[in-house]
Amino acid sequence: MRRLLGGATLAGLVAGLVMAFGIAPREATQGNVQRIMYLHVPSVWVAYLAFGVVLVASVVYLVRRDDRADRLAHASAEVGVLFTGLTIATGSIWGKPTWGTWWTWDARLTSVSILFVMYLGYLLLRGMVEDRERGARFAAVLGIVAAFNIPLVHFSVIWWRTLHQPPSLMKPGPGAMPGIIVAALLVNFAAFTLLYVYFVTRRTVVLGLEAEAEA
Amino acid sequence: MADNWSFVIAAYGLAVVVLAMYWRFLVRRERELDDAGVVRQQLRQAPGVSGHAQTEPGSRSPLP
Repeated sequence: MRRLLGGATLAGLVAGLVMAFGIAPREATQGNVQRIMYLHVPSVWVAYLAFGVVLVASVVYLVRRDDRADRLAHASAEVGVLFTGLTIATGSIWGKPTWGTWWTWDARLTSVSILFVMYLGYLLLRGMVEDRERGARFAAVLGIVAAFNIPLVHFSVIWWRTLHQPPSLMKPGPGAMPGIIVAALLVNFAAFTLLYVYFVTRRTVVLGLEAEAEA
Repeated sequence: MADNWSFVIAAYGLAVVVLAMYWRFLVRRERELDDAGVVRQQLRQAPGVSGHAQTEPGSRSPLP
């Protein structure tokens, strides 16, 4: 089953690269540098998804005290931090040629940085508390509180005047992107979602083995 | 606008390196824990190998 998921993920990523570099056209205003979007936007989607899963799993853990929910929250937070870091780094690389700067403290960049630091804190908190059950409880509370930052990140470009462009897909009103660009983006969304599921599945297994070894 | 291919390569290259490193970490960690689990199971099944039954000093029979 896991091999099948791994194979599907690899196939999805290859399809995403083909769409991004072979099928999607060169963007008229930005040129080929716009192809970073097919990496940057799916990365932030995975981060939203991962932290959403942390929220749900944390609530389940607090209600049922189920260790599987705790392990899922832990794995998802770790993968979410990985993809948030990737979002910030690729956004910075994209920002230099298009905005003329690697970094600026605009609403989107600032809010996503806060999100990154909050979930990094979540992972550190887990490592700092010696009593495993207590650490899981504290982490679950932080996992719920930190999730309130997700809509703030997403809508920051609509609520405030920022340098960052508005949302590419999930925005109110009709979409402005050509169909082929949307298709390339959706293929990469699917591939990155599979990658998320693959990573979280493996990480959850590792966390289970670690718990077994400690017992 | 210039194409800036170097930025595109940098972004995708960074992503490949980071994701591959994380995948490698997961694979290696799982293998380590699996191996450790097998060793633990073997030790449990064969206590004579490492866990010799110790007798209390008082219960030992005196030397002839």
